[in-house]
Parts: sequence; C-alpha cells; structure tokens
Amino acid sequence: MDRREFVAGSAATAAALAAGPVWAQEVYPSRPVTFINPFPPGGAADVVARPLAAVLEPIVKQPIVIETKAGAAGQVGAQFGAAAKSDGYTLLMHIVSISGFAEVDRLYGRPVKFTNDDFIPIARFIADPMVIVVNDQQPFKTLKEFTDAAKAKPNDLIFSSSGLHGALHLPMALFLKAAGLELKHLPTNGGGPALTALLGNNAQALCSSIAAANVHLRSGKLRALACFGAQRSPALPDVPTMKELGYDIEFYLWVGLFAPKGTPDNVITVMRQASKQAAADAKFAQAMKNLGQDVAYLDQPEFKTFWDADAKRVQDAVRAIGKI
Amino acid sequence: MKLRRDHVAGGFFVIAGAAILAISSDLPFGTLASPGAGMLPMLLLGLLMVLGAVLFVHAGESPPLAAIDWSDIRHALPVIVVACVAAAAYTALGFLAAMSLMLFFLVFVVERRPLLPAIAFSIGATVLAYAVFAVLLKSPLPRGILGF
Amino acid sequence: MDIFDNLLLGFSVAFRPDVLAYGFIGCLVGTLVGMLPGIGPLAGISILLPITFGLDATKAIVMLAGIYYGSQYGGSTTSILMRIPGEAASVMTCIDGHAMARKGRAGAALAIAAVGSFIAGTFGVIMLTLVAPPLATFALRFGPPEYTALLVLGLVFLAYMSATSLVRTMIMACTGLLLGCIGIDVMTGHFRYAFDIKELGDGIGIVPVAVGLFGLGEILSTPSKTVTDKVKPPRFRELMPSRQEWQESAKPIARGSVLGFLVGIVPGSAHIIASFLSYAVEKRVSKRPEEFGKGAVAGVAGPESANNAASTGAFVPMLALGLPTGPVTAVLMAALLIHGVPPGPQLVNDHPQVFWGFIASMYVGNLMLLALNLPLVGLFVRILQIPYAYLYPLIIMFCIVGVYLVNNSIVDVWIMLIMGVVGYLLRKLDFDPAPLVLGLVIAPTLELSLRQSLIMSSGNWTIFFTRPIAAALLAICGVLLVLSVLSWLSRKDWREKLAETEAGEK
Repeated sequence: MDRREFVAGSAATAAALAAGPVWAQEVYPSRPVTFINPFPPGGAADVVARPLAAVLEPIVKQPIVIETKAGAAGQVGAQFGAAAKSDGYTLLMHIVSISGFAEVDRLYGRPVKFTNDDFIPIARFIADPMVIVVNDQQPFKTLKEFTDAAKAKPNDLIFSSSGLHGALHLPMALFLKAAGLELKHLPTNGGGPALTALLGNNAQALCSSIAAANVHLRSGKLRALACFGAQRSPALPDVPTMKELGYDIEFYLWVGLFAPKGTPDNVITVMRQASKQAAADAKFAQAMKNLGQDVAYLDQPEFKTFWDADAKRVQDAVRAIGKI
Repeated sequence: MKLRRDHVAGGFFVIAGAAILAISSDLPFGTLASPGAGMLPMLLLGLLMVLGAVLFVHAGESPPLAAIDWSDIRHALPVIVVACVAAAAYTALGFLAAMSLMLFFLVFVVERRPLLPAIAFSIGATVLAYAVFAVLLKSPLPRGILGF
Repeated sequence: MDIFDNLLLGFSVAFRPDVLAYGFIGCLVGTLVGMLPGIGPLAGISILLPITFGLDATKAIVMLAGIYYGSQYGGSTTSILMRIPGEAASVMTCIDGHAMARKGRAGAALAIAAVGSFIAGTFGVIMLTLVAPPLATFALRFGPPEYTALLVLGLVFLAYMSATSLVRTMIMACTGLLLGCIGIDVMTGHFRYAFDIKELGDGIGIVPVAVGLFGLGEILSTPSKTVTDKVKPPRFRELMPSRQEWQESAKPIARGSVLGFLVGIVPGSAHIIASFLSYAVEKRVSKRPEEFGKGAVAGVAGPESANNAASTGAFVPMLALGLPTGPVTAVLMAALLIHGVPPGPQLVNDHPQVFWGFIASMYVGNLMLLALNLPLVGLFVRILQIPYAYLYPLIIMFCIVGVYLVNNSIVDVWIMLIMGVVGYLLRKLDFDPAPLVLGLVIAPTLELSLRQSLIMSSGNWTIFFTRPIAAALLAICGVLLVLSVLSWLSRKDWREKLAETEAGEK
C-alpha cells in the first residue's frame, strides 16, 4: 500500500464514520472492521494481522482497524473477542495459546471465562512448527545427548520460556513429560527475553518458533536439536522431527482469525472468501516469507479439525505443567 | 499531643500496609529456591510499614495538620466529579458527545464563562481532536449509542 | 572497508531525496505522537507499519525509526507546557520543565530540551557507529542477577539523591513497587490484588499513573483564580535561553548523553530509568540542589538528553544481536523482518545499504528534528496564552483520550482519575510522586530478575556476588550507602550548608 492508498483509506474511514450507524440490512462489511490483536504490537498475532489487513482492505473495500487489547498473555484480548457483538465487525486474531486459558482456569478452580466454543474459526494463516534449540556454549549436538545430560543431573539444566503457560512453555512441557526429564523453568516476559536468556547462557534450552530462532541458527549461536512439525521444515532440512526421534509430539505456533459465537453465516462466508483471497495474495506471501514462514492457509472446515486436535495438545501440555 | 501532618501520612502507610498484608494471605511466600507470588509484596509491605512508623515517630518536625491549605478543594472537587462523569459516559455516549459535554460543563458551569464561546469551544476542540486521533492517526475512538 | 567508507555509503543512501522525505515524515509523525499523551512511539509505529509494506526496507526503517526518536523530542513539549508526560520517559521533564514554564521560561525550557535531545541523539548515533558490536556482546552478559543489581543500584541512587527526605522518597518508591505487583504473576499465574478486574491482569500501566499523578494532579491543585491570564506574547529573544541558562545546561547534557546511552543498551531497561538517573545525578552534583523542582535548568537538560541517548542506545542490541530491548524496538524488528532484513550479527554484512543508510539517516534525522522543533517553540509557547479556564478542560480531555488509547481500555481512564486524586493528596502531604512512578516502572523487572536469579542458583544468595558485573554494581551500591551514612553522620548536607552561607551573608 503506498501513500496515496493510505490517504484514500483514511478518507474512506472518514466517510464511513460520517455516514454514521447502519440501520438497514446492508452488504457486509459496510463500515470498518476491527481485528483484535491480543498481544503487544510486534507480537506473533500482530505481525500477521498487519500485512493481512493491508491485503484485505482492497478485497472487502473497507478499512481494517487493528485494535491492540494486550494483557494476561492474550487472555484479555480473547475475552474481548468472545464478548464482542456478533455482527462480524469485531474479529479476533489469536494464536495456539487460545485453547489453554479455559484449562488453566479449571486447573486453578477459577470460573472459566470462555472456551473454544465461544469462537467460530474463520481461517488459519500460518503454522510454524516449534523447534528445540540450545546455545553454542553447550556441548549437545543431538537431542539424545541433551536428554542423557538432563537425566544424569535432574534439575540442573534450565529452559527459558515466554512465560507460564505461554506458547514457548507448552511444547517444552509436552517434551519433558514424554522424555521423563526434569529441568528448571526460567519464565520471562516474552519471546524476545526468553531468547536473550538463552543467548546469554542464563538458560540452556528453549522451544522457539523457527522464525524467531533462524537468524541465530544461521550465525551458529544456537543449535536446533529437534523440530515439532509432522514433517521436517524446509527452513531446517537437517533437523529431525520429534516423531523421527520416537516422541509422538507435534506443536505449531499458528495464527488464525476468529469470530464470536452467533455471528451470522453470511458474514462468516464473506470473511472466509476474503481471507482465502488474501492468503493467496503474493504480497502477503512475501511478507510472511520475510518473517521466515510460509503461508499455511486453512479454510474453516480444515481449520476446525486442526484446531480441535490442537486444543487437545494444548490441554495436555497445561495438565503436564500442573498447578504451580 | 498536637496532630501533625506526618502523623496522618505515617499512620496512613502503616495502616494501609497492614490492611493489604491482611488480604495477601492467599499469596504464597515460597522458598528461596522457588520464590512465590507473595515474596516481593510481603517484603515491600513490611518495609512500607517500617518507613511509615519512622515517619510517624518523627512527625514532631512536620507542620501541624491544620496548617495545610485546603482552599483549592472548591476547584478540585467539581473538576474531578465532572471528569468522572465524563469517563463513565465515555464509552456509552462516544467520544464526541462525552468530551464536548465535559468541556462545556467545565467551561460554562464550573468556570462561568460566557455561553456562546463555551459552546463553540467545546464542539470545536472535540472535533479537532477527533480529526487528529481518529482520522489522521487511524486510532479508534469509542463511538456511542448515537453512532458517532 | 573502514568506518568512513561505510558512513559515506550510508550518507549516499540517506541523502537520496526519497529517503530524506520518508525520514522527514517519520520525524514529523514522531514529534506529533510524542506530544500527544497516550499515543506513544509504539502506537505511532504500529499505525504506520502497514504503509511501509510497499516501500523498500531502507525507507521503511528510516521512517519508522524516525517516529521512535522523534517522539522523544515531542514528549518534552506537553511535559513542559501542560505537565502531562506526553510519553512515559518525559515524567522527569514535567517537574522542572513545567516549573520553568510557570516562571515564564517555557521557551527556554523547550529550546534546551530540543538542543539537548539533538546533542544526545547525535552522540548516541556516533557511539552506535563506532562501538555497537562489542557493546552488544557486553550487554548480553546482563542476565537476571545483573538486572537485579542494576535496579537495586537505581533504588540506592534514589535514596542517596534524597538524603534529606530519605523516608518520604522510599515510601513513595515502595508504594510504586507495590502497585507494580498488581496483576498476574508471570511465574506462578497468581492473580495479585486484581479483584477480578480482568484489565488489571497485566498490571497497572505507567501512562495512566504518570498522567494522573502529574497532569491531572496539577490541574486539581491549581484553581483558576490563582492563574493570571495576562500572559504577554513573548518576544523572540525571550524565547531563547539566556547565556547563563546555556552554561548551566552544558554539563547536564553531556552527562545525560553518556548515562542515557549506557542505560539504553541494556536489554529490557526503560528510558524512564535513564532520565530518572540523570535527574538524580544532576540534583546531587548541583551547587544549588534546592532549585530542583522549582525550575532548575539542569533538571530539564539532563533527563531530556538522557532519554534521547537511551532511545539511540536501544538500537545497539537490536541491530547487532537481533534482540529487542523493549516493546518499541520489538515492533521495529518486526518491521525489518517483514521487509526481509533480519536484524542480527549478519545485518552489516548482508545488507550494508540498509544498515549504514539507517545509521546515516539518524544523523540527518536528528538535524531535521532540531530544525523542526526550534521554530515551533514560538508556536507552542502560545498555547499558554489560552486562558486557563479553557486550557485545563482541554488538558483533561487529552488526558482521558490519550490514556484510553493506550489499550483502548476505560479501566485505564479510571486509574488515571484515581491517580489524579492521589496526586492531589500526596501534594498536600508533601510527597514527591516521581519515585512512585520509578518504582512502578521497575517493579516487574526487579521482581522477575530477582526470582529468576534465585531459581538459577537454587536459592543461593551468593549468585549476586560471584558474577563480576553484578558484584561490581552491588559494590557501587555499598559505596553510595556508606557515603550517605557518612554525610548523615557528619550532618553537613546541603540544607545546612545553605543555612550557613545564608547566615554568613547576613
């Protein structure tokens, strides 16, 4: 989008706002659509939402406004998304951790604020398999060496994460449970700090998205031991998958678009088609490629199937972590 | 004993510290190897109460409580009440309505300025701010039940 | 290739008319979002991010970075004129900047802030050019124990600076730290003091607290009848700082630049810590510390320089290591990534055009900002000519809108209003709210790094003394504590010295 289009977009916003409320049955969307971004700007959902919004705007012919509602590791935004008016003008961009909140609440005996049933999935845009990485000050070259060392000295090695029950904590919990390991957990307040802790050798292992770790993998500062995808990632063809190594674990950092429960079918259909078109756009694909991932678009039915299976994994991980 | 300023200030922090400590009982202190959610708050509350007590003890050096000038309360009270009402109405009425009403009330009723300038000012300023925030910076401002 | 060839390459990129134009847009938007409370560089960059998708990486980063350091210039404007921190790092500028404005020296304060920002910004870029890679490696050695030590040093500094009212300062700092404990505990998931208000889950924001305590608190304790509306339009000469004011600000600007840059390169630190430390240093080394809070020139020059140098310093770990030091650099990094230019050790070699073009554009950008901000001083000062009865309702509106926009949360507005009342009451009881804001800012990092250190060492406190950087920082703490105890014992602090000299003059 160049400057002229931006000016035009702003003018459209102004015109739409000036037009005021829409009483009559009109074609959806007839005014700006809001995407809730539940993480701080620059976070996993935001970096997908902004390029997506840029290619969606000419398709739906309405501005897409991204509203940041960060808080509680994405819970605040998800709750706003669930409670939003189901008219299709407030949609939610969320990531894999959306399935964990209800389970955490149940674990702690707190009232459950929302479940996955409160959302209608629209589309999945990316799904980046997680990868387990160690820093170059550690001798481990393979996952086996790592697990042997961890077994020899329980609670000696430290893994960092983006925070309790965060997207970087859950896959590690699944792996530790499957391998029967005990590691110390060093929670930080985000993906960046978790990586910093690993690079500074204040932690020795981390489950990261390939996109975030790739720069350091190429410079040799980090080494990848195993990948959480079903197949090997094209970005890391030499790294074995967990399944190859005998652990039945899969985990992806995916980003999808959701509507609140009760949104009319015709509205969902419009957004599904628009999303399909946007995901096929070369500009969007390029932006995702630059982020280090490929567009992994899934339309509603396939996304729903994937999400149901994924929610089970996330709930298992939350239970594996247990009450702290 | 004459009540002095720091008797009130110190006393407040001791009592507030104790009160918060009382409602923090659900937060585990943890151990040194795995510090709990309550560790820092409890250390801080303890420190706060000690500091409050020191302030209380040395209160003799502070001016008497009666010396505090409260004359500005006649300004502060209406202003904060109007601001609170405006905040309560902010999401329901929307930015334009709530803010222009607030400006009008403050300028016309609280400050007793002439009616016409007050109306012009309150509408002009909100529309200008709306233009800057919502249109130029593309930041969503709340739209009220009236649709603007 | 040596540094001059590199810079030459950079300037050949930075002086391309289109790059210049985008740099200018960035600086302009940055100044604007810096001035408006609530909308900070974070929001500004996110809003303009989609526009950059059609641009090449150099233009995009030049524009987006312009927003970032431009906002540090703009932040001082609202602080000085209205006592609203336009941007969290400007809290310290509110105190003496606004006091100067009330003495009729608003123009001088704005000009000093602009020039100080320019010098500090340029110093930061020079350092970035020369020493980025080794510094970045050093910054990586800052693990949890080092953070803990650094923040403890900050608190000790606070106590040291205010040796005369130690108890009051520490009470405020404690209160701030406690407020910072509100919300979900990231380590155990406990909801602390949140009373089931979900917006409190992420804790209390800095912006609502700072805007409430400073902006609204000031308005509440300033009845309209105490303000004279007869402000004469200042002549241009009066707008500029006097020779004496320039002299008084020279050294604070120099110290603030160095201090700010050093704080800025540490990953995870906030600019507000840089400006706070600078304020503390200036108050301590000043010959007339009693002027602080009443319009001391050094109290504007130091912190304003420090926060600008810090914003440049924050680029060191981002560019050299690919690690964001804070939310704003995280967004900038995302922007670079989206453009296919991953920041990190390879950036200089893989994309020299982008790297050096970006560095060179910051030299140019700082010049542009100076050229943009100095002439505007005259215009901004005229804001003070709006009669107070109209001005303060306007300020309240900007407080509400700005605070709301940070998270689109009405709860933040309520926090701001409550903090306004708190600020009003604290003033009655003679408490200074600045340490409270500092406490609030550092609380999450202090708690996290303290607990992380203990987890790493399995509960062994000696971890703070066996790691060299942490030990060195704690040694400085010890020296400062001993010094303040000594000065307390000898009872020769500045208030008494002042009393003595005054007695001698009579």
